[in-house]
Amino acid sequence: MTLADPQTLEPARTARIPANAAITLGFVPLTDAAPLLVADALGLFARHGLRVGLSRMQAWSAMRDRIAFGALDGGQMLSPMPIAASLGLAQAPTGRAMAGGPPLAVVATLARHGNTITLSDALMNEMTSAAPHLAAIRPLPAAALALALAARRTAGRTPPTLAVVYAYSSHTYLLRHWLAAGGINPERDVRLVVVPPPKVAEELANGRIDGFCAGEPWGSRAVDLRCGRIALTTADIWRDHPEKVLAVSAARLAQDPAEIEMLVASIIEAGIWLSEPGHLEDATRIVHDHALPDVPREIIALALSRRLVMAPDEAPTAVPGLQFHPDATYPHPEHGAWWARQMQRWGQVDTFPANLAAAIWRPDIWQRAAPLAGIAPVPPALPALPGDLTP
Amino acid sequence: MNLRVLLIDDNAERAAAVTAGLTADGCTVAALIPDHADLVAQVRAARADVIVCDLDHASRDAIESMRALNRDEPRPVVMFVDHADPASIAAAMEAGVAAYVIEGLQPGRVRAVIDVAVARFRAYQALRAELAEARKALSERKLIERAKGVLMQTRRMSEEEAYRALRRLAMDQGRRLADVADSVIALAGLPL
Repeated sequence: MTLADPQTLEPARTARIPANAAITLGFVPLTDAAPLLVADALGLFARHGLRVGLSRMQAWSAMRDRIAFGALDGGQMLSPMPIAASLGLAQAPTGRAMAGGPPLAVVATLARHGNTITLSDALMNEMTSAAPHLAAIRPLPAAALALALAARRTAGRTPPTLAVVYAYSSHTYLLRHWLAAGGINPERDVRLVVVPPPKVAEELANGRIDGFCAGEPWGSRAVDLRCGRIALTTADIWRDHPEKVLAVSAARLAQDPAEIEMLVASIIEAGIWLSEPGHLEDATRIVHDHALPDVPREIIALALSRRLVMAPDEAPTAVPGLQFHPDATYPHPEHGAWWARQMQRWGQVDTFPANLAAAIWRPDIWQRAAPLAGIAPVPPALPALPGDLTP
Repeated sequence: MNLRVLLIDDNAERAAAVTAGLTADGCTVAALIPDHADLVAQVRAARADVIVCDLDHASRDAIESMRALNRDEPRPVVMFVDHADPASIAAAMEAGVAAYVIEGLQPGRVRAVIDVAVARFRAYQALRAELAEARKALSERKLIERAKGVLMQTRRMSEEEAYRALRRLAMDQGRRLADVADSVIALAGLPL
């Protein structure tokens, strides 16, 4: 379906307006915060009778803590994070994990795709010398990097440093998956570090890292600074992968599920609006003004219209980039289970409860929200998951 | 307490206050304004038992990731879940303090460090709030002075009359004196 301008929309199909509708949500200034920013700016929350307050977060850890302890009702979250939080990763192991159920509920996917793996010019050139044919392929096969790493080892050089934005992130697991598929051991053959997203392009420019996996606009920023090239996007590793989710406090959801359903309906509507090519200019303005005032609008517009300039002076290329359409917003529990298996694969946990993802991902809430946004409450087919390879 | 504390804070004034409090309690404190790229190296170099930082600090994601990414490095784990007492969790959240204990150390030993940090963060918050309040009061007084001047000039009132006129207007309209003064000044700017 298509959605007209919000001004001409019929009143929201809601039966009731909650008496106390102040919901506080956190977001991190990234292009894929768009559904939250748009729902707020276009008054989509308000049409459902919700008073939503958005607050800007500088760290994913801060978002998690604020939701877990009730200082925020919910927010944008890296898709693997609710699993990591339930397993008590990054927390002192004192057995509170899972006591009384998971602290978070995933009620919608906010965005699919949208990350790039961007490598320094120097590393790109090493690949061209080591494997000229492989290095020319886009999306770049990890085998090209494997051959460059072998050449480095022969020359007695140290392994390259690759940055991700957080250990328990889609970036980490997808980068590791890509490396492993090319025969590279992410634990031994490269050095992984964490750098906050707004710093990655700078760090690549000053040579302290050799590459990174991060959301847009940061890959484009590196190309803009002429210090790196985009080798591939994370959609090339897992087509249709969930990137950010809307997670809410499980306690808040239990207290007033109808309110959260309306919240999800607003997000579905924002996603439909964002999927209309005619809204690109308005969407760009909203994301620029509310989240990324220091990033040139053209770069934001490229990301929102699924195009990228892969290297300096090249023309924009169409890529499998950000998706916000209704099917993309459905929270598949299988996504959570895949992340949990990656945590196990990379030794972050020994084991996890079989029903873990099913307890956190709540497609039932999405299904009740869908009709409020005018779409059929039919779960979309589950896109294929990447194979579980051994490292 | 005799613990090594790494304090990460962009706010030099507050960092000094926390450092003073912890040092008085027998801790060795290394305070730093983080350079994100070298954070892991700095954590290693500090050989800290505990890391204290602003709850919203951008470097928190990197601190938490050390455990998963660098197996041979110190392994900081966030402390919130260790507090069985919900009131102390709430206090830390409210004051904006996050604390990490390096794995291997008894979490109980760190409790006193967090209590000191929370107290100092709070005191700093209160100080800032008072300063903001004082600044607001000062700017409101300036507004009222200017509005009085407008009335004295345009209505040929005495200072006393102008003040009484403003107060009457505020009472009649149920508005704050500063807000009424603001309207008077705005109206004075209108072309006649």
